Amino acid sequence: MKNINKSLFLGLLLSASSFAAISQTLDEIIAKHTEAVGGKANWNKIKTLKMESVIKAQGAEIHTTTFQVDKKAMRENITLMGMSGFSIITNTEGWEFMPFQGQAKPEAMTADDVKNAQDELNIQDEFMTYAEQGKKIELIGKDDVDGTECFKIKMTDKNGKETTYYIDPSNYYLIKQTNKMKADGKEVENSITYGDYKKVPEGIVYPMSINGGMGEVQIVKLEINPVIEDSVFKLPN
Amino acid sequence: MKKISLISFALIISAANAQSPVNAAMFGTMEARALGPGTMSGRITAIDGAVNDEGKTIFIGTAGGGVWKSTNAGASYKPMFDKYCQSIGAVAINQKNPSIVYAGTGESNMRNSVSIGNGLYKTTDGGDNWKKIGLDSTEHISKIVINSENPDIIYVSVPGALWCNSKHRGIYKSSNGGDTWDKIFYIDDQTGCADLLMDPANPNVLFASMWQFRRQPYSFSSGGKTSGLYKSTDAGKTWKEITKGLPAKPFGRIAMALAPIDPKQMFAIVESENTGLYISSDAGETWKSQSAPLNVTARPFYFSTIVVDPKDPKRVYRPSFYFSYSSDGGYSFSEASSDGTWVHSDMHALWINPSNTNVMYVGTDGGLYTSIDKGVTWQFNQGLPVGQFYHVAYDNQEPYNVYGGLQDNGSWMAPSAAPGGIGNGSWSRVGGGDGFWTVPDADGKTVYSEYQGGNVSRVALGTLKSEFIQPQKTAAEKTDKLRWNWNTPIVTGAKNPKNLYIGAQFLYKSTDQGRNWKRISPDLTTDDKKKQKQEDSGGLSEDNTSAENHCTIFTIAESSLDENQIWAGTDDGNLQVSTDGGTVWTNVSANVSKCGIAGQSWVSSIQPSQFDKNTVYATFENHMYGDFKTYLTKSTDMGKTWKRLNSPEFTSFAHKIKEDPENRNLLFLGTEMGLFASIDGGELWFRMKNKMPEYAMVRDIQINPKTHDLIIATHGRGIYILDDIRPISSLTKDILDKDVYLFPTQPLTLNNGKYGWGGTEVQGGWGAGNPPSTPSIDYYLKDRLSSGKAIVEIYDDKGRLVQTMPGTIRKGINKIYWNLRSTPPRVAAGSTKADGAGFTAPMVLPGMYTVKLKIKDKEYSSDIQCVHDAENKDLSLEDRKLVFEKSMLLQTLYNEVNNTIDSITFYQTGLKTDSTAFSKNKNAKTFYDELQKVKGEFMATKKTSIFADEERLREKVSNLYSSVCWKEAKMNTNQLDAIEVLTQDYKTQKDAFSKVVIKNLPKNPQLKKPAGF
Repeated sequence: MKNINKSLFLGLLLSASSFAAISQTLDEIIAKHTEAVGGKANWNKIKTLKMESVIKAQGAEIHTTTFQVDKKAMRENITLMGMSGFSIITNTEGWEFMPFQGQAKPEAMTADDVKNAQDELNIQDEFMTYAEQGKKIELIGKDDVDGTECFKIKMTDKNGKETTYYIDPSNYYLIKQTNKMKADGKEVENSITYGDYKKVPEGIVYPMSINGGMGEVQIVKLEINPVIEDSVFKLPN
Repeated sequence: MKKISLISFALIISAANAQSPVNAAMFGTMEARALGPGTMSGRITAIDGAVNDEGKTIFIGTAGGGVWKSTNAGASYKPMFDKYCQSIGAVAINQKNPSIVYAGTGESNMRNSVSIGNGLYKTTDGGDNWKKIGLDSTEHISKIVINSENPDIIYVSVPGALWCNSKHRGIYKSSNGGDTWDKIFYIDDQTGCADLLMDPANPNVLFASMWQFRRQPYSFSSGGKTSGLYKSTDAGKTWKEITKGLPAKPFGRIAMALAPIDPKQMFAIVESENTGLYISSDAGETWKSQSAPLNVTARPFYFSTIVVDPKDPKRVYRPSFYFSYSSDGGYSFSEASSDGTWVHSDMHALWINPSNTNVMYVGTDGGLYTSIDKGVTWQFNQGLPVGQFYHVAYDNQEPYNVYGGLQDNGSWMAPSAAPGGIGNGSWSRVGGGDGFWTVPDADGKTVYSEYQGGNVSRVALGTLKSEFIQPQKTAAEKTDKLRWNWNTPIVTGAKNPKNLYIGAQFLYKSTDQGRNWKRISPDLTTDDKKKQKQEDSGGLSEDNTSAENHCTIFTIAESSLDENQIWAGTDDGNLQVSTDGGTVWTNVSANVSKCGIAGQSWVSSIQPSQFDKNTVYATFENHMYGDFKTYLTKSTDMGKTWKRLNSPEFTSFAHKIKEDPENRNLLFLGTEMGLFASIDGGELWFRMKNKMPEYAMVRDIQINPKTHDLIIATHGRGIYILDDIRPISSLTKDILDKDVYLFPTQPLTLNNGKYGWGGTEVQGGWGAGNPPSTPSIDYYLKDRLSSGKAIVEIYDDKGRLVQTMPGTIRKGINKIYWNLRSTPPRVAAGSTKADGAGFTAPMVLPGMYTVKLKIKDKEYSSDIQCVHDAENKDLSLEDRKLVFEKSMLLQTLYNEVNNTIDSITFYQTGLKTDSTAFSKNKNAKTFYDELQKVKGEFMATKKTSIFADEERLREKVSNLYSSVCWKEAKMNTNQLDAIEVLTQDYKTQKDAFSKVVIKNLPKNPQLKKPAGF
């Protein structure tokens, strides 16, 4: 009887402490990730970004330029095969003009797509802003990504959009994220992988390689807090 | 959680010294191709749909392929359970929060080949992540019932272990969403719960069908005194047995249903001495017998589903041997039409969309069907590749074909590669029934195919005409009958492929394709008469379909080093060997038993070593006696002594051991729950993942020595091919210690791959793609490259850069594919039409090249040899050189065209720099317009739609350039002429441009000439 009580007590103790350990682990992971990518203070200073990038595929190059105003708007210009196109996303609308895909004029994104794209407008690291955005966060466990056993963390936003993040335990960098959302009656899933983390003079550590499945986008030039005119996010006449 | 972490901690400690230095994560880039097919599918065991989603979200449980999900009412499916046990007995959605889904592992259609589960799983995010929440030892789960008012209350119906007594059966209940469980109804260790119903109007009312059942390797019994129909009105606290109006006991398996809209109306199919349909109108208190067609009462242990329409209490569905439905409350039944498609027989699950009861899904032994007319006609879902193969074989063709037989789905073949990739249409059927061994003859024209019980035929490929070739008993065999295993081995010789073997209790050999047979052994089994009473098998319903045949030969192997060395293993524990072609046999099973393997175990596979005549590997499995341990053994003295090869990685019973034909230390093991590999001769093992389900039921493994492909037969996910496994054995300790290692690249043959594309993709179904068309450039990274770049560059023998490719940065093996081409030209901007030349470059010439791998600031290099494709008779080496020369000439012309376009744009941009000045300057405007006119001759500038083509000089040069770059035949004179014409056209247009400049430039002194013009 005594033994049983003892083991029960030990069990409770272990169980309580292991639950504490788990929640602490998630907080710890976020803290270490925050530190690894340059700290919240440095990130908070970023209001705008401009990136010049290149996608290389079997010797061919596709050039893109991205303008981003934190949580407000984003525009990406893309040049390939002698043509130029763009996409624009703001808080209220989205446009796409991809002439190489046969589009003859800019086409509007659906309201669901615009809603789902709002995360992309967030320049800030998601792990530093999820709480203020009202997102739920959960440590799922560990999972293999490209041979690295990563921390697997899931965030769910108010609209039910689910994003799973995979963090490298050796340096706390984000390796991959998977987004799953519903849009216009469809369930859509996509993944983005990150690499080539580089510390920039402004103190943040930024992934200079981003791959959303259409090839690796290498950032050639990253400007932090450039002046970006509102007109950039307006449709050309 | 606490327990799990403690246990896993303990496992980590105990396994710490025995971990393989390599693991599946290092080979993650080697992704197996799932050949499917979806043409024929496999057994579907459970279906549930989310009611609040217009029936669009559906979860499908399968017998051996895990859980699949559709979010578009079956237009497409995704596997959701690839990290767990693949045998599914039940799925249930919490309809109040459809992100919560439960999956019970361990199918409960208790046929001989049924697999085994390891507990109940729960997801709270629609299937992306699962947690095991208990019932680990139940082995089989038939149903999960969720309280419709309080979905934290869950009941699980557990038939329990099939092969032995077990206390882990009955009805389990959780009141906290699965955190803890109580067994609330238990009869004895032989009686489980087959079916469970809840009254949707009063969730405290439950009905349970309790079932006594047991299988042995050689018999089946459904029924007994403890089977019965029970009712609870207090949420499972107490149960009372219902007998009024039911037939005399004993009962076997009972299938039940109630009408959701009028739950007093109930239906039961009661297996007994007089199996029949019973109807109750008073919530199960009293029953009356109702006459019913054969299909309604057929095979109760296997067809245990009856469902009432959610809205119409008179509409009753009975998916069984075929599909029956009643419109008059079970008084009479009609059969589904086969218009459109035949619906595969043997049905186990039915889900009707409650918000549109015209729509329903039925799960059969051959896949999933949808009806949109209340079950009258059906459409087959072609995208569920859950076929249950028993074996796989390959032939010597180029590309080689794979052959295999499936549970209840006959025997099939498919090429390993095909134009456009492998799709459903690539597969063709070669035999019917339950399919098993399907073995091609070396003549390339013949395949041996069988259905259950050793009914083997020689089939002519091409015509599929067949000749029955099963050996018959003669006066010489002193026995009542030949005993053929349900899954009778048919094997061709590993040393002499003209030898064809087949085993009953005797081993037979033919050297003339089965036209004549010679018995080459005595009875190799134990011939235990107690295990040969198959005609009494079945229990209350006779069931003897050769599935219980016993004391038979189950596996045969001829040594690849000596055709006289023949091994045979039986289903009753004997392992026999002959070294003289079958005259003298030695039973070594007693020697095997010494290493702790039960004497009655099935010998599931034998692998005589391909390197040493005295070495042999064998797997044994004892699951039919309730023992699921992994038995793998090795002997180096022809079976005199045996050593167990074991690993903490192993899970479940073993089906197949395979030794690599080139590397004696590379071994593969297939078990009921996974594929494992060893690179050190069997000392240390790791679980293979490679984009396959991690707990796949791996029934058979082959390695094609020509292509080094690993070919895997799974019992629930079809055939997988892992193309070229050589990298697995290439990771030696030396390399593992390095930070970066660039492997030597195999010679690259210069062509556009083996196959063309063929146009539009196959409509729907399952697609597997093709193997890579060219060998990859492989490198190893000890750790992921988190900072800095990986770049792969190709240089020619003169040190000129040919092409640059971004490298991948993963830990382990990285694979980069070079398209064998140089760098494409730049495309000048400003057109209204996309120009594909920007992605096209000439193929390089044969010769030595250097690959340089740049990782951060370090550089690693190795040579690559590019060789002329001598097999292509349309293109000699001289032809190739001319094609290369002309493609380079066209690239130069293309570059010149683009440079000129850039010059035009340069002037135009300059003219418009000051837009105010431009609008006032007539000379500037004239110059601009004349430039625009010239530009319009150089490239498409007017086109505004993909439906209105416009072709100017650049498009013409681009088209010719691209077609020459892709040429795999000699240049023709027409193309040579076209080059001349376009070169002349360019000169003409450039002259026109020069004239415009000469005329207008002096009038526009604000402009400067571009450099080099």
